[in-house]
Amino acid sequence: MTIRLAFTAALLSLSPCLLAQVKTPGEGVRPGAHMPPVHEREVQNPFQAFDQARFEKEARALGANDEQLAAFRVDVDELGAARAADNLLRKVVPAFDQAVLAAEDADPKAALDLTKVLVETQSPLLQAHVRFHLARVFLDSDDPERSIEVLNEYLGKNINHSPLDGDAAYFYAQSLAEIPMVDAAIPRFRAFLQWFPDASERLRSAAHQRILELERQRESRLHMLADGMKKTSRDLRKQKTDDPVQMDQEKYLEELDELIEMFQEMESQSSGPASGLGPSNSPAASSALPGGEGTVGDLNHKKSLADRWGDMRDADRKKIMADVQNTMPPQYQKMLEEYYKKLGKADR
Amino acid sequence: MLRFLQERVNKKTKKVDERAAENGVVQDEYDELSTKQARVKELMRRLAVKLGKENDVEEDR
Repeated sequence: MTIRLAFTAALLSLSPCLLAQVKTPGEGVRPGAHMPPVHEREVQNPFQAFDQARFEKEARALGANDEQLAAFRVDVDELGAARAADNLLRKVVPAFDQAVLAAEDADPKAALDLTKVLVETQSPLLQAHVRFHLARVFLDSDDPERSIEVLNEYLGKNINHSPLDGDAAYFYAQSLAEIPMVDAAIPRFRAFLQWFPDASERLRSAAHQRILELERQRESRLHMLADGMKKTSRDLRKQKTDDPVQMDQEKYLEELDELIEMFQEMESQSSGPASGLGPSNSPAASSALPGGEGTVGDLNHKKSLADRWGDMRDADRKKIMADVQNTMPPQYQKMLEEYYKKLGKADR
Repeated sequence: MLRFLQERVNKKTKKVDERAAENGVVQDEYDELSTKQARVKELMRRLAVKLGKENDVEEDR
């Protein structure tokens, strides 16, 4: 508490030079310090414009009929191509629809159901949509690393088949931001904005907002420290306690020492009490509660996937795990086992 | 306080790492350690947000 007060008081009287030091993060505390460096370079756009004729041909191969395709064309104008395409595939492939419904309902079975559809289909179009939803499930379960793994498969095997490419590019950047790999996320949000000018306004404005937040975060030593600690927290949960993780932790201490020293120096340089500690220049005319609704937090908290997993009967959980072990190919079996294990350990 | 808390997490990490090499460590201990690190992170984040807001007010004046 003493340090916190000292930080606050000292910042109110920062000189521009010292302020710059506080804002510039030390190299060692960056969360991606032990990850491969991300090089700043021009990358060629791998995405092609949406080819509706090709999409319809692939949808027909999955079983879409004339009536469904006519409805799809109407939906493209009303909802946008990405959502229209997803709706069409849900109508054509009932198992996919059931899996997406489970995902929307935060049902823990969603990851298994989506993976079953993925294993059973050879269609790159359907694979794209399944992988997109699976990545979203992992991201919603606070597992951005696994989300990136799935989206890497999307980008490697399934791009240019679906108008969902733009959404996949957005959530790839979002997953990087959540890790947090700030330096890698910012250029990918920018690429999304540049390469998908016709993406939904909701995603485009969210991307703009995230870039601003991440740039601000990158300029602050304190935020970078918090980002690094977030990554370390994930590492520890994954049983990583070896030298790279311990080196990160030592750097957090060094960084904290530097910050404390800096603030102490600033405190000693400032004369008299900081301006923010005195009486307000514009006091309220009368003492009264502010207007607005008297609510505290989100009173309609929606249950998370981890909540739902915890609420399930033991028999249902065992059935899902048995399905994972008996019906999935090895690579997906490992992915889902780790996912459900993590879900069971999540803070609820 | 933040420094003290981080120091404790660092020491605990080293201990768990040593024990893992000798006898193995159950997942619950890793989870507990991770939760401690997450708490320090959350305090750090709150401080960063608070100072950021106060700094914005100062810059607007």
